[in-house]
Amino acid sequence: MTPQFILTAFIVALSSGFLGALLGLGGGVVMVPLLVFILDVPIHLAAGASIVAVVATSSVSASVYVRDEITNMRLGMFLEMATTLGAVTGASIMVGISESVLRIIFALSLLYAAVIMWYQMRNTGRSWLPMENDWMANKLNLGSDYYDSARDETIAYGVSRSLPTFIISYIAGVISGLLGIGGGGVKVPAMNVISSVPMKAAVATSNFMIGVTASASALVYIRNGFCDGFITAPVVLGTLIGSFIGAKVALRVRGVVLKRIFIIILLILGVRMLASGVGLL
Amino acid sequence: MNVKELELFVSNVLRVGVMISGVLIIIGLGLFMVTGDSCYPNGEASIDWIIYGDPFLSPSHILFMGFLVLVITPLLRVAASVLAYRAEKDWTYVAITGFVLTILVIGMVLGVG
Repeated sequence: MTPQFILTAFIVALSSGFLGALLGLGGGVVMVPLLVFILDVPIHLAAGASIVAVVATSSVSASVYVRDEITNMRLGMFLEMATTLGAVTGASIMVGISESVLRIIFALSLLYAAVIMWYQMRNTGRSWLPMENDWMANKLNLGSDYYDSARDETIAYGVSRSLPTFIISYIAGVISGLLGIGGGGVKVPAMNVISSVPMKAAVATSNFMIGVTASASALVYIRNGFCDGFITAPVVLGTLIGSFIGAKVALRVRGVVLKRIFIIILLILGVRMLASGVGLL
Repeated sequence: MNVKELELFVSNVLRVGVMISGVLIIIGLGLFMVTGDSCYPNGEASIDWIIYGDPFLSPSHILFMGFLVLVITPLLRVAASVLAYRAEKDWTYVAITGFVLTILVIGMVLGVG
């Protein structure tokens, strides 16, 4: 591990964290493949560094937004039962899985992220229909409301089809533990599309959940020696600084062109990762 | 302590946790660059090793203490919400948050996988 290696890891993390915060996406999904391709890091160790960085960024944003009224704490905690179990499952699978299989799974998640981003870009502004709580949501009092400052009104919503979202949250946890990423790209669409939670509330609640989920996975990674100190340290510091700058800049940048570029980056990384996983590159 | 004070406390715990771990990581990484010493544990990093080190306060030991502080802070957040729901006498959610906390603690102590 040379100083040059540490500096490169820091710069990769800095730019991924910056991009992630700019686009409201976790940086992990880009950072892991970049570490693998640029620094020749085994994907297990790249994921181990990424998961600790995910905890760091989530704690920083949570310390700022902990008192916001948009996060649905009850919904978050309810789904967190599934995601933490999933995270521990995923991290345990990761421990015993080979480099090439993990690369293929990661490639599929990159391509999935590109599709989700494209879908969300096409459907912005589509009207959102509030729905009633289903029986389980009713029993657990999952529905909530928040004050939308942009529209100057209080938006009340119920949580429909809570069981499917609960099951998908488990899968999101598995993916997070397996690949060392936050998994917001799985949870947010599930809450929004399946359970009719408004987008803003879904994003805030997912952000709240990511730190807890990632911390469950990170403990397994550390215990099993998949957290190399000299990859993880520059990655954590780089991600923290990058996402801090990204969050400041995000307010001044229009997203559409940037999102298109990002989708292309995801596709390129996904195809390259898939090719390397099946042994073509 | 009421719920609002608890939330403020948690927010401070998160911020202080990130700061402490950030300082530990910077010191550990800096010492490594200067001394060239690594002492990276082969294979598993047991909680014992992260707490006591071998040797104590080697660069990599400081680094891993930084990682551990970082990873444990969300645990405190869940623990705080167990207390918050208990204060509200919302027993269903005491059970739900308690379940999440249990999985996290089991994952940490036993190290699944």
